[in-house]
Amino acid sequence: MTRSQITHPITQFLFCLTLLIPGCSASNRGSEQSSLLTQTASGNPRGDITVWSWNIAAKALMQATPAFERKHPGVHVHVEMTGARMQTRIMLALAAGVGAPDVASLQQTEAPYFISTRQFTDLTPVAEKYRSMFPRSAWNNCTLNGRIYAIPWDLGPCAIYYKRDLFLRYGIDPNRIKTWDDYIAAGQEILHKSGGRTKMLPLGSNDLESMFELLIEETGAQVFDGDGRIAINSAQSRQALEIIRRMRAAGICSDVPAYSQEWMAGFNDESIATYPGAFWLSGTIEDSSTDYTSKKGNWAVFRLPSVVPGGIHVSNLGGSVLVIPAQCSNKTAAWAFVEYALCSREGQLSLYQSEKLFPAFLPALKSPAIDARDPFFGGQHVGSFFAEGVTDIRPLNRTKNWTEAVGYLQQDLSHWASTGMNDPGFFHRLELKLESRLDEPSARSGDSQQ
Amino acid sequence: MNPQWITQVRRYRHFYLFISPFFLLFAVFGLYPLLFSLYLSFVKWDGMTAMQWVGLGNFRRMLDDDILRRSLWNTLIIGLLYVPPMMIMAFVFAQLLNAPWLKLKALYRAALFVPCVTPMVVIAVVFGVIFSPEDGVLNFILQRIGHLLPFLHFQGEIPWLTSEDWSKVSVSILVVWRWTGYNMVLMLAGLQGIPADYYEAAEVDGASAFQRMWHITLPMMRPTFRFCGLLSLLGTIYMFDEVFVLTNGGPGTSSTNFGMYLFNISFDQFKFGYASCVAYSVAIFVFAAALLVNRLNRGEQEGA
Amino acid sequence: MGLSRSVRLSVYRALICMLLSAMAILFAFPLYWLLISAFKSQAQIFASPPLWVPHPIIGKNFTDLYRETNLPRAFLNSVVVAAGSVGLSLFLCSLAGYAFAKFPLAPGHGKLFAFVLGTMMIPSAVTLIPSFLVLVKIHWINTYWAMIVPGAVGAFGIYWMRQYMSANVPNDLINAARIDGCSEFGIYWRIALPIARPALAALGIMQLIASWNSLMWAFIVLRTPDMFTLPVVIYLLQGEMRTPYGMLMAGGLLTALPLVVAFVVFQRQFIAGITSGAIKQ
Repeated sequence: MTRSQITHPITQFLFCLTLLIPGCSASNRGSEQSSLLTQTASGNPRGDITVWSWNIAAKALMQATPAFERKHPGVHVHVEMTGARMQTRIMLALAAGVGAPDVASLQQTEAPYFISTRQFTDLTPVAEKYRSMFPRSAWNNCTLNGRIYAIPWDLGPCAIYYKRDLFLRYGIDPNRIKTWDDYIAAGQEILHKSGGRTKMLPLGSNDLESMFELLIEETGAQVFDGDGRIAINSAQSRQALEIIRRMRAAGICSDVPAYSQEWMAGFNDESIATYPGAFWLSGTIEDSSTDYTSKKGNWAVFRLPSVVPGGIHVSNLGGSVLVIPAQCSNKTAAWAFVEYALCSREGQLSLYQSEKLFPAFLPALKSPAIDARDPFFGGQHVGSFFAEGVTDIRPLNRTKNWTEAVGYLQQDLSHWASTGMNDPGFFHRLELKLESRLDEPSARSGDSQQ
Repeated sequence: MNPQWITQVRRYRHFYLFISPFFLLFAVFGLYPLLFSLYLSFVKWDGMTAMQWVGLGNFRRMLDDDILRRSLWNTLIIGLLYVPPMMIMAFVFAQLLNAPWLKLKALYRAALFVPCVTPMVVIAVVFGVIFSPEDGVLNFILQRIGHLLPFLHFQGEIPWLTSEDWSKVSVSILVVWRWTGYNMVLMLAGLQGIPADYYEAAEVDGASAFQRMWHITLPMMRPTFRFCGLLSLLGTIYMFDEVFVLTNGGPGTSSTNFGMYLFNISFDQFKFGYASCVAYSVAIFVFAAALLVNRLNRGEQEGA
Repeated sequence: MGLSRSVRLSVYRALICMLLSAMAILFAFPLYWLLISAFKSQAQIFASPPLWVPHPIIGKNFTDLYRETNLPRAFLNSVVVAAGSVGLSLFLCSLAGYAFAKFPLAPGHGKLFAFVLGTMMIPSAVTLIPSFLVLVKIHWINTYWAMIVPGAVGAFGIYWMRQYMSANVPNDLINAARIDGCSEFGIYWRIALPIARPALAALGIMQLIASWNSLMWAFIVLRTPDMFTLPVVIYLLQGEMRTPYGMLMAGGLLTALPLVVAFVVFQRQFIAGITSGAIKQ
């Protein structure tokens, strides 16, 4: 070819086109990069690793770092409390193949979505030995096709926080509240005796989804089945919705949005008697309680009511995991850090003690720190209380569509709540909506499998 | 015929050489993306795992997408909130700055135009501070005004960024502040292009100031107005930085305009297929609408 | 009745001046607020009643910024990207503009130019995702190339240069140079470019503003802190729970300052850049 032929614009144009044709096919970087961590690699970790996390979690990790670095002197851990849009930036880094941190924390609810991108290190070879040391419900969000891609960090086991003096005043014995029926009845009693001033719980129409999630872990309903198909249209779902309907119909719910001013004010006045919530709510309550009746020790916790007498009374909201992106160039050191922080009693307890992150690591739950009496809760063994029954928490099939699905669920629940709460076809329509929006088929209608 | 064509091309080979960088870059970053985007409109893809062909699934979903509808609605509202005041202010200021007797023109022009050279992220951040509901300086000033002029029954504490309605207003104010100077400068140039004799002749004929404006200025400014209008239209639909930094589309989705929504589905949710479909559909729609308006304008002009 | 015409005119003019001054103050106010807030502590920024003049003047925001973010590096990145964008853009647009202006007889000239103009109608929203993917494929993500090359040659720039060169570069000059044996590129470089300086200045300024202020594209293609440009650093200062407003204002000031200063000094060129030619569309 002559020089002028090569520099001819058409030649150049065609040349560049050929470079780009490979770009038309789907990128499948996952297969080469998701390399298995070999056992032998965990020999002598050294180097620098970067950890991305959010406020409280990052602070906890930062406080656990010195002890880790003493154990592994060659490793330097840099924890970043990342700023705006952490999820977006992680996804961009994964898609671009550059810029991902060595370790990142993710919410348990979104972990399946991230893992489905196949851009994370397969941790099965090194984490398999810890399988029995975390509850099944936590592993459910960390595995894909049986392989482990994330390690559970903390859980959000649920119970009911209540104010002792109010219960005393209105003659309610928390130990007699065994089922949701008992709970609703107690709420009606409090409502009546307080002249309508005190509501049993906050349940605004925009927060129905979390209550629903809490309840379906008791009734056994699922949004998705094990294969990712829509399974929400079931008797168990209807059962959960019915409990919500009865709570609202009984007038015992305060309509304040969660985390609003009034919701927080409710900690310190008599407008709300109980707050159903996860373990991590205790921190918020402690921080926000100013001088409600000027006495610490007024708050306490009682067991989550069950749906049927003698039924399951545990549930979980929230929790997080740690992952190692496949891009990480120092997987040995990254894994050493994750293993220390999450798979050792020392690590998990340090995270618990610095920022009250409830360990998902079962051996850590049997320790004096967890068993300690909490003066704010009148000396109750709050940690152990929440730890009891953690292994009984029913796993929810989240799949990569979870966040989007619950968004639609919340919209529909809000609408349902504001239009009379009378809709027998509610789950059928929701199922159809999810089918079309998520491009997933539905499992057979009827009672869903667990 | 053939050899002659080749000789012509050889003779003008530098022409083709000089324009080839544009075409090369366009092929890589314009044409290929355009075509690939069209293809993506028919698949479901997150950029990392395998693509999944869904045919018209994305289009069907688009019709069902209430957040998209909401974002288009928000875009319309924001547009209606900011375009008229901005255009009027730009025109008025351009007229005022065109006056021959005015001193300190450069100063006024600079003050009104400097917002256009400041980075949007910086402006949005400053406005975030000024518009802060409890301790922003704007609400403070408004409260003072409310005290001084009690007959206005003015409360003063406006939830600029935390209310669903006011968030749109905040974005609009930001955009007006940003682009008035730009449009003003364009209109000023347009005004200066109108021959002075027209005005003199009209004055001789006894036309009032208002009549002069109505019959001379406005018609002569039509091309300028059309240009500004087109820029505003495109700017409104694809507006991103302002919303991204000031309100992030919130609270909720109340100030999410189309540009923000597109970013949400592209890079927050990584729905490459669906995002391409939405971008294409709206782009084609806007293009068709602009063509239609153009044709109507042309028709009106020829009829006039 | 009563006031003479000239008095009424003076009053009218005085009112206009007051109105314009008020507007000027209103428009300049946010920038003034930025300036003083950069020197206030967080508490002072949100003080009520507001602090109209910073007192005392605090330099802590700037030192914090220097310590916690790599601001000098970000500044360098912004400068490199801006310089590259402007340089590449001016070069390629003027080259193509010159070609379209001075080779009207080349076959396909009209159609090619119409094609160029047509590309102006493609909104960047449609090409965003695939452009990102192309950059990933050729490993340009997180490099200066990703910021400089994709937007370098725009149809508008070509149109702009073509208009100017068409009107202002005399054909006789070109022909004379050809006879003297000057290469085509030499003619472009040594004759056309110097004549087109005003148009280059105007186009360059528009490109400079767009490049320096770019946020969305930078946020998408730059992935590590050592490559971030100033707008990205500013944006990322906003944390989830707590935003360090002092640092934010200081960083914002430093990001805005170069262009604002340049504008104040070169006001005439800036404005000429925007106006002349835009209307003739």
